[in-house]
Amino acid sequence: MKTLPASYLPLILGVIVLGIPACSKKAVRSGGDSQALQEEMARGEMAKGGAAKDGAHPSFPDTSFSGGDDSNSLRGLDRNPSEERLGGNTGNAGAPGGGHGNALIAKADSGAAARQLAEIRAEQVASVAAGLRDVFFTYDSFSITDEGRHALSGNAEWARSNPYAQLKIEGHCDERGTSAYNLVLGEKRAKAVRNYLVELGVAPAHLSVVSYGKERPFCTEHTESCYSQNRRGHLAVKTGK
Amino acid sequence: MTFRAVVFVSLCVSIGVAWIIESGAADVFLEATRPDFQKIPLGIAGIENMGGSETPEGRVKLGARIEEVLKADARRSLVFALVDLPSLGIKVSHLGAEPDASFKQASENGVSVIVWGKAGIKNGSKDADLSMDGYVYDAGSNEVVGGKRYIGSTSVARLMAHRFADELVFRYTGEPGIARTKIAYVSELGTARELFVMDYDGYDPRQLTADGFLNLMPRWSPDRRFLVFTTYRNRNTQDIDMIELATGKRWTLVSQGGLNITPTLSPDGSFLAYSSSHEGNAELYRMDTHKKAVQRLTTHAAGDLSPSWSPSGRELAFTSDRNGGPQIFLMSADGSNVRRLTFDGDYNAAPAWSPRGNWIAYVCRTPKKEYKLCVITPDGQKHLQLTTGLGVDDSPSWSPDGRHLVFSSTVDGKSQIYMINVDGKDLERITFTGTHNSAPSWSPAS
Repeated sequence: MKTLPASYLPLILGVIVLGIPACSKKAVRSGGDSQALQEEMARGEMAKGGAAKDGAHPSFPDTSFSGGDDSNSLRGLDRNPSEERLGGNTGNAGAPGGGHGNALIAKADSGAAARQLAEIRAEQVASVAAGLRDVFFTYDSFSITDEGRHALSGNAEWARSNPYAQLKIEGHCDERGTSAYNLVLGEKRAKAVRNYLVELGVAPAHLSVVSYGKERPFCTEHTESCYSQNRRGHLAVKTGK
Repeated sequence: MTFRAVVFVSLCVSIGVAWIIESGAADVFLEATRPDFQKIPLGIAGIENMGGSETPEGRVKLGARIEEVLKADARRSLVFALVDLPSLGIKVSHLGAEPDASFKQASENGVSVIVWGKAGIKNGSKDADLSMDGYVYDAGSNEVVGGKRYIGSTSVARLMAHRFADELVFRYTGEPGIARTKIAYVSELGTARELFVMDYDGYDPRQLTADGFLNLMPRWSPDRRFLVFTTYRNRNTQDIDMIELATGKRWTLVSQGGLNITPTLSPDGSFLAYSSSHEGNAELYRMDTHKKAVQRLTTHAAGDLSPSWSPSGRELAFTSDRNGGPQIFLMSADGSNVRRLTFDGDYNAAPAWSPRGNWIAYVCRTPKKEYKLCVITPDGQKHLQLTTGLGVDDSPSWSPDGRHLVFSSTVDGKSQIYMINVDGKDLERITFTGTHNSAPSWSPAS
């Protein structure tokens, strides 16, 4: 049990990555998409002027559920063994050659990942060129330290002399604590940095904040020196949207 | 050890009966037995290989693999106690559809249920169907009470075992079992974090998103068709998206400034609760998924996040740092009647309300500053710490039968996914590859 996954998972993952683009359901999906899109547009029209507001998207499917009909549900044990064919709508239908024609399909759009990577690099290059310095925080805290203030005064100077630049302030946390609460803590850190920059005379319109919580660590060791690297307000020059 | 006085148990076969084995006999049956629930003694006599039933790798016989999966499922069901038939002097082989003479002997030794079967590939051809037959002998009636025949490709061999296991659980408890459930989770690919789905036992992982940045904290829709999750659009703004598993089709449910995190659908799917900071700081909202109307539930200068629905959908547990560090609070689903639930320690977060309603699991920080799993009753009267030791535990999520939790932990170094029983027993690691697996969410049962 314990040894099987170690040997099979890479194989299965490989099959998914290689097998998905050739998956026979792809054609079905693209056809289904256009129909779904039309339905979605129709619903969108109906919802116009309706209740959708506060950033709510008007046209996702109704998710309300009352149980009941399910092709995947159990059919019971019978005295005369009934035959059940597994695959197709129940998921896990095996494609020839060990592929996985499952009901669960990866949205393998590697172009998106490549584009993200290029944009992240461009942002990093611009931020390094600007000489922006990051701010570090103590455990559980979102207060700017004296050292942080010093770093931010330099950043504020740069921002004032580059009035067309858009700065992004990322809030980061170490791995201790929950993913969810660290997103809130990261936002508090990013906002503390933004507020201090505004105090120093940077126009708020040129600053945006985003929290990455503990999801994009700069360092992945389980040591205090690594944790202190990750409790950070990172400043980046926005290059894209 | 004696095996007396258990025969009468075999007369009690029926659905939904909590099994009470006469005192003294309980510890005979081997695996963990708890004072409040006696498992049903189950013997698995074997899944025999028929012709041509080797796996594509050619080493493990398919019958043996199905048997292994079936045994693991039966063990994890916590409904059955696996009995080692050979150790009772019972050897069974070459079984047909009829009960073996030795079954009577097994039942006299307290075994309540015996299952067996056979598996093989029709015609031995390369791409042929795998066929598996399974039979159930019930000691109470001294007869074969049911069977199943599953047909499919060799890639669904594990599913055959899972389905048969769930049929057994269903027959003896009236509940559908968890062997066919799935776990959605986040896995790291390079510096990106993407959504994946795997079987509840960690097998068969499938990638759902390939956005190249961050997709976080998936949660299932009650009909298992969708996941809701946080996605970073253009890396700079957080949206709440929904993805349809069957097609990969996506919808944006919430798109506004600030944090938009921890979305979760109500048990009937009619509301989406989530946390958003678009009006200043993180507050809880709920959206009517039919009318798409949004209602704000909390108004507080502190952060409110991580809503978790009670099984009735009438209440929410959530995290708030309104008293300093994060603590667990409860409120009615319309935002009224807010009250604090946790008072021990200075950090309690990520609540998950059991589908049976009797426990709320959460991450508690111990006096040693370790982040571990705790459970507390909704009335706050009783609380327990489930995990101990090193590593940061995070993101508890309940099995639909309310008997297990899945969670992430860095106990072995990198973040991986683990399963544990609600009594703190049977800790089991279920992911073994990759640099980071986290945020598991257990699907509803079907």
